[in-house]
Amino acid sequence: MSQPLIEVSGLAMRYPTGRMALTDASLTVNAGELVVILGANGCGKSTLLRCVAGMLQPTAGRVTVAGSPISNLTGQRLADARMALGMVFQNANLVKRRSVIANVMAGTLGRHRNWKTALGLLPHSERPFAERCLDEVGLLGFADQRAGTLSGGQAQRCSVARALAQRPLALLADEPVAALDPEAAEGLMSLLKRLAHEDGLGILCVLHQPDLARRHADRILGMKDGRVLFDEKPSDVQEVAVSALYAKAPLETLPA
Amino acid sequence: MLNTASVNDVLPGAAQARRRLHPMTFVLLFLGAALFLQSAFVVHARPQDLITGAAGIADILHRSFPPDFAGLPDALWPALETIDMGIFGTAIALVFALPLALIAARNTTPAKPLYFLARGLIALARVVPDLVWALIFVTAVGLGPFPGALAIVIHSLGMMGRLFAETIEDIDMGPVEALTMTGASRLAVFSHGVIPTVMPSLLGITLYRLDENIRSSLILGFVGAGGIGFQLLTAMNLFQYRTVSMLLVLTFIIVVGAERISAALRQRIA
Repeated sequence: MSQPLIEVSGLAMRYPTGRMALTDASLTVNAGELVVILGANGCGKSTLLRCVAGMLQPTAGRVTVAGSPISNLTGQRLADARMALGMVFQNANLVKRRSVIANVMAGTLGRHRNWKTALGLLPHSERPFAERCLDEVGLLGFADQRAGTLSGGQAQRCSVARALAQRPLALLADEPVAALDPEAAEGLMSLLKRLAHEDGLGILCVLHQPDLARRHADRILGMKDGRVLFDEKPSDVQEVAVSALYAKAPLETLPA
Repeated sequence: MLNTASVNDVLPGAAQARRRLHPMTFVLLFLGAALFLQSAFVVHARPQDLITGAAGIADILHRSFPPDFAGLPDALWPALETIDMGIFGTAIALVFALPLALIAARNTTPAKPLYFLARGLIALARVVPDLVWALIFVTAVGLGPFPGALAIVIHSLGMMGRLFAETIEDIDMGPVEALTMTGASRLAVFSHGVIPTVMPSLLGITLYRLDENIRSSLILGFVGAGGIGFQLLTAMNLFQYRTVSMLLVLTFIIVVGAERISAALRQRIA
């Protein structure tokens, strides 16, 4: 059960501008677990997520997904390795002019690399599976609607369905509720928790809302200045530790 | 007075700003006038010649009237040639402009050198006027509508390639990023993430181009590339002004018709 799905060790990232976004970050995400990263803007949490997704090449350190290393891959091998990782973005990033089901079916394109999909045709054999994914996020009734007509919360759930259509082992979510109202945010986090607990996905989610994290996460990681400061169960995370993440002053006074 | 006072109260800088603008406005007006005067000098503008020439114009108009519709049946085939040069040229240009634009858009190009190559091709195709392309193709493949159609293909490829590339550069890259993450092939990311988003704009550009191309295929006839243009040139050379006016009526119908149909279709897409 607690087999590590995502393992990050000693990750460092220096941008060409010289800024150190990550200095020494390590974490694990197990199957069936929703892990939330909290931290102020610029603490390196988005950079961390992008390194895990293989969208950025870290300066140092190691990322493995289901046991196989993901950093330093390019081209086809990176595309193959990525298939185990579903990504949910801050904005749903749907193709607005296409139907909801078409957007979900696009999540299966990695398994259907042929001339038909290259020309823009969808793999229609995947429609029943895509419908199951939509059902999972509660949007089956919207399948044939244009994605552009969905509300913010629905669009984000549709993007989760697209990630599920990819048949990932783990999901990465980059501030998935940033554009949502409180109710939709609550709904999305419940959905992510259910996907972790019931379907056994490992989920790594960057958030800006400590209270949402406390209610839904299995573990909370606090990040500041490119390193992980704490990694605890929500019940063990102290309020002062959370507010220290967002404090401007240095942290000498923080209890370990 | 009351209004001015209150504006100045709310925006203390407003009155000053107006005063500060004055010298600059004079300079711009002077530069504009100078620019126009030099153009009048360079084109040898002589309004008096136009007045003395009015009699000549009246004579031609008189000799053109009424249009000679007896020659209409013979003009129908060239008219079709003119329209079809535009349709054929636009269709072939569309097929090639799409992949070219994907290479010539900064956000979707596979590699920087290819980007510059594609931009260069587009600029070359666009900067050389279609009339010159027609002259080149008439030399290459002989008289008739085909060289005209080829000229339209090349010139539209430049115009459409540039506008397509600009449209693609304006898109939100979010869906592209998302589809890349699904492990989809590069081509599939374009065809599923970029094309559906830009399709309406691209169709709009193509329809607008079709309208322009039908218009320019009329002119291409003047250099031997078939169609109504060639008929017009022949009739002019033979001083058959009543045939010329008939052809102009036909031209008017074709151009306005193409414009209307293109505009109506574009409205449907938007």
